[in-house]
Amino acid sequence: MDPVIARVLVESAVKIALFFFILLTVVAYMTLVERRVSAWIQDRQGPNRVGPFGLLQPLADGIKFLFKEEVTPPHVYRPVYLLAPMLIFVPALVTFSVIPIGPALELFGQRVRLQIADVDNGVLVILAFASMGVYGIALAGWSSSNKYSLMGALRSSAQLISYELAMGLSIVGVLMAAGSLRLNDIVQHQIEHGWNLIWQLPGFLIFLTAAFAETNRLPFDLPEAETELVAGYHTEYSGMRFSMFYMAEYANMVTASALAVTLYCGGYHVPGLHLLRLPEPAAALVQVLAFGLKVGFFLFLYVWVRWTLPRFRYDQLMNLGWKVLLPVAVLHILWVSFLVLMNWT
Amino acid sequence: MTIHLLLGLVLILFVFAAVRALAPSRTLLAGTVLGIGALALLAVNYQALLSPEFWAGLIGFVAILSALMVVIHPNPMVSILFLIVNLFCIALFYLILRAEFLAVLQIIIYAGAIMVLFVFVVMLLNLKAEEGLRLGGGPQRWGALLLAVVFVLLMFHALHDRSDQPYVEPGAFESGFGSARALGGLLFSRYLVAFEAASLLLIAGMVGAVVVAKRKVG
Repeated sequence: MDPVIARVLVESAVKIALFFFILLTVVAYMTLVERRVSAWIQDRQGPNRVGPFGLLQPLADGIKFLFKEEVTPPHVYRPVYLLAPMLIFVPALVTFSVIPIGPALELFGQRVRLQIADVDNGVLVILAFASMGVYGIALAGWSSSNKYSLMGALRSSAQLISYELAMGLSIVGVLMAAGSLRLNDIVQHQIEHGWNLIWQLPGFLIFLTAAFAETNRLPFDLPEAETELVAGYHTEYSGMRFSMFYMAEYANMVTASALAVTLYCGGYHVPGLHLLRLPEPAAALVQVLAFGLKVGFFLFLYVWVRWTLPRFRYDQLMNLGWKVLLPVAVLHILWVSFLVLMNWT
Repeated sequence: MTIHLLLGLVLILFVFAAVRALAPSRTLLAGTVLGIGALALLAVNYQALLSPEFWAGLIGFVAILSALMVVIHPNPMVSILFLIVNLFCIALFYLILRAEFLAVLQIIIYAGAIMVLFVFVVMLLNLKAEEGLRLGGGPQRWGALLLAVVFVLLMFHALHDRSDQPYVEPGAFESGFGSARALGGLLFSRYLVAFEAASLLLIAGMVGAVVVAKRKVG
């Protein structure tokens, strides 16, 4: 086999295994973080019995889900019912493959990018697989042959496609400033000209709101609201399949946070790190840790908002998406065009 | 070599379909045997796996198969899923032909937005599965057969002329071909009128939809 192809295959396989492992571990521990942080906000203790500080709780939960009886109701449409959890999980993972978690560095004599796929259209790949995520939910609700599931699925799909627009428009602002669709170029632009958070604050807020809506998290979680729709689109799922939905939601959260960090908060950039004159591997490690901390902050923000704000009513939700976010996003694009014209960014 | 590998895989698929149709209880056995056969075929011809012709042929096969299933399958939702598979295959073809921007746009717009519309329609209208594939009466049957023969002859004629053309070499394209910059440059210079006319059409469609919906509610 051609040595170049072999090298690319091995490198990609290692990166994929590493990213997959990290992502799944973070997703598992997010369940614990959610419970502990919500407990802290509500002035009580969360799970702290299983292992020190409850750190083995996700393991216990995983084992519990494995042993739970997987009841498949007789009235579901089986092929699509079995396919839906996978359809919702895969886009979240694929989207993470284009996000750079650190700078390029010299490893084993090769120049290695800390990113699985350095695609020229990185941002578009993310948008493409975000729009694929709608199918998992819609099909889960439809195949369940249950009116509450169908309602939840319809609401969720409508919500997702509405907020996709606002998200896309806010990303256009970032693209105009950076002049490229590659995520590495966007991070590089932020390193040179200051984080997009500073220059494009309205876009950042729009993106954050849209990300909350896209991941079906409170205050936008009416599709899976326990009080209104039993459990929405995942009512008829149990055991490992239900946990797939659960994990997919957290995986989407992690991806959305990573995206917010990459597009608006400078990715892996640590301002002033070059002043320390660290050797390259150490500097790369610090930057990867910084990326992790920033993503962690956004995940904490997700949990914080969930346990602080009440849920939006469905018409309020759609109003916000179409009548508020969309016009503000368009005005934001005007603002960014002005910035680009004046060469301020 | 590549052609033989592809034909071998296609044959295996047909044998499996035949076994599933004629002797459903033997599906697992047939599946295992044929799967091992397919893996053996791939292992013997592993050089072909690295050639773009093989992957193009495989993607083409999946595209045709999914397009057939769209039409054959009685359940409309499953038809939609097969159509999405087909659109992904088209996007992969765009990738092979170095039109990367177009490939991603195909997924975003076609598979990600238009098909969602289809899903909504099927869910809201509660379209049920048809009872089964029922062929029409005498004239319809003969007409369909005649048109099928004409179609196959046309395909033979179209493909026959191209059979000796070499596969397009990746180096034959200039750098930056198929990127957003290249497409955008064309859209805003040579095809500006068409671009603006298309955006006007979209706005007209949106306004029309809102007006019709409002009239129903109000």
